[in-house]
Amino acid sequence: MRRVLLAAVMLLAGSSPVLAHHSTTAEFDMAHRMTLSGTLTKIDWVNPHIVVFIDAKSTDGGGKAAWKFESNPPAWFRRVGVSRADFAKAIGQTVTVEGNRAKDGSLYGYLLKITYADGNSLELVVPGGDR
Amino acid sequence: MKRTLLLAITLTAAIATLAGQTNNGHPDLSGTWLFSIDLPPIALKKQTNGQTSIKGIDASGRRPAAEKVAGALPFTAAPVYKPELRAKVKDLLDHESKTDQVFYCGRPGVPRIGPPRRIIQLPSEVVFLYEDISGDPYRVIPTDGRPHKKDGNPSYYGDSVGRWDGNTLVVDVVNFVEDTWFGEDGYFHSDAMHVTERFWRSGPNLVYQVTVDDPKVLTTPWTMAPRVVKPSTEPLEESPKCVEADSKLLVNNDHHGQR
Repeated sequence: MRRVLLAAVMLLAGSSPVLAHHSTTAEFDMAHRMTLSGTLTKIDWVNPHIVVFIDAKSTDGGGKAAWKFESNPPAWFRRVGVSRADFAKAIGQTVTVEGNRAKDGSLYGYLLKITYADGNSLELVVPGGDR
Repeated sequence: MKRTLLLAITLTAAIATLAGQTNNGHPDLSGTWLFSIDLPPIALKKQTNGQTSIKGIDASGRRPAAEKVAGALPFTAAPVYKPELRAKVKDLLDHESKTDQVFYCGRPGVPRIGPPRRIIQLPSEVVFLYEDISGDPYRVIPTDGRPHKKDGNPSYYGDSVGRWDGNTLVVDVVNFVEDTWFGEDGYFHSDAMHVTERFWRSGPNLVYQVTVDDPKVLTTPWTMAPRVVKPSTEPLEESPKCVEADSKLLVNNDHHGQR
């Protein structure tokens, strides 16, 4: 489980080695925070990371790009008062997500923030460091 | 007279309960305890209709106790492996994202799963219930003086028997499968691993401390730092299934970290 703990800390903290002795440098580009808009199509409420599926416009013109963003574990979301329904209510709607892309270049990332069409949002933040 | 006696019994039971004592004189460990598996130590910022709220989590049950805990055994930071096995520990640690079964949704086993989320204490047994990403195991631990099973199959959570040592519940666990680690840093073990878990009350809290002995791989038994686990009002909930999806995305052996 610490994988998600450290993943989140490192992603939020950039590449600082100070905050964690394990890192997610093996998987995500933590130096860049990407933003993407698209249609929320599915939520997998699974361990060790929930997965959010987004259909965005392909950057090579025409067509869709099917992105997946993992995020913190279900047990974490539960304890900060967020359930699957808080994501699922927006299935079929346009959302904007911010996160860190997988280093292997696949359409995969770590979700740090999701903003719904109504302007409401959920965001992972460092405690005491309202970003 | 009968009424007075009934009142006295009721009051005694109430006082005993308040003091954390069961009727048979042992401390009462029953209850629901704080989720104590690692979770991200970050908070959620929620914007709802222009209102902002930030909520974090309480990870205190996962960490070693911040202050000295009465009744705790002396402890050290890490186990001491036999010299010829230290390179193996380092190699497992260096390739943790490939070698740690917990990374792949494997069962953490005892003691890595940590303290239970719920304890049900009965006169001759205690029941431990857990929430874990690999599933939600349970353990039914006899405390009636019976010995370990002689013909049990090895398992992830081992064969447990409990006894009371003063106010401490001592759970003796043996007969493990060999593919678990007893700590995230490559702490492998053999079939001879013997785990002793100690549970006691500290005011409203539960204290949990573990000693691991494995004469085939360690030079001496290792006692870990105690953990203080707060009571929780949050009911247990079935853990969602575990689907490992990160391993194929790893571009190097940097530690991903488990627990």
